[in-house]
Amino acid sequence: MSASHPVYRSLVRLYPRDFRQRYGEDLVQHFADLITDRGARAAWTRTSIDLIVTMPRYRLEGIMTEQQTVTTVHLTITLLTAAGVLSFMTDLYAGQGLVGLVLLLAAVVLAMTQRSTLARAIRTPDTNRRRRRLATAAVLALIFAASYIAFVNLIGDSWTLRETLLTAIGTSAMIAAAIYLIAGLLTPKTPRRPDQAALIDH
Amino acid sequence: MAVPEPSSFLPLPQVQFHVLVALTDGERHGYSIMQSVESSSDGIVRMGPATLYGTLKRLVDHGLAEELAHRPVPDDDQRRRYYRLTGLGQRVCAAEANRLSDLVRIARANLRPGMA
Repeated sequence: MSASHPVYRSLVRLYPRDFRQRYGEDLVQHFADLITDRGARAAWTRTSIDLIVTMPRYRLEGIMTEQQTVTTVHLTITLLTAAGVLSFMTDLYAGQGLVGLVLLLAAVVLAMTQRSTLARAIRTPDTNRRRRRLATAAVLALIFAASYIAFVNLIGDSWTLRETLLTAIGTSAMIAAAIYLIAGLLTPKTPRRPDQAALIDH
Repeated sequence: MAVPEPSSFLPLPQVQFHVLVALTDGERHGYSIMQSVESSSDGIVRMGPATLYGTLKRLVDHGLAEELAHRPVPDDDQRRRYYRLTGLGQRVCAAEANRLSDLVRIARANLRPGMA
């Protein structure tokens, strides 16, 4: 067995997990056939170019699948919301109330953007609409809860712009969460496809 | 589930079309597909392993090709997986061939009148 095989096998690990689980052995077998047929130099030349071209692309395809994108966006929204609430509840820096508002607004904008046409166009289609709607409802409920906590901690004798903004964010998030929750519960369950492969073509 | 129209796959990416054409000749394993593509393109199209298997993955996922459950060559390496065209894959391949043929006819007619 050529010493090149273990090296190539370890490079195959750079591909996304589902791809290498499905075709990892075929890739190594193919590489071995190339070495047998054309020699190590020709095999490495072809395979190196192939690796440089395909590895980032397959990785990107893996990231751009519906489930991965939704998870990443939801995580970002959650972190922004948590950071916003924290900056309200702690009193370490001057003017951090404004920072908290900006973070919460960013979470709302991100949640709205995630539902946009552009986002749907970039992502590959997903049949599991019910799960997506329920997840969105959960994120919006979190935003509402964060706004409410911040509001309770901030409310004083006078009604300022900050309170107005928090009320607007919290109310919008609450209504949207209720709508998404109802829509999600009304959406019929669909079975998960065994392979949610990206559809980005060559 | 409704079978998609072949025209919905057109134009096919070049590499996918080459692999489909290689499979029109019969059942093949990955390395054999690569050899066939190289041969039919006079060495112009040279695919690396990941390009080939990424293409096969798409073709299988889209229902244009399928992996064989049995091994057509019994004494071949047991690790090899064989692929063949599905009915949809044949129709898509034919539709793409017709599309390219029409395009070539127009190009020839425009570039060299009398050749078409």
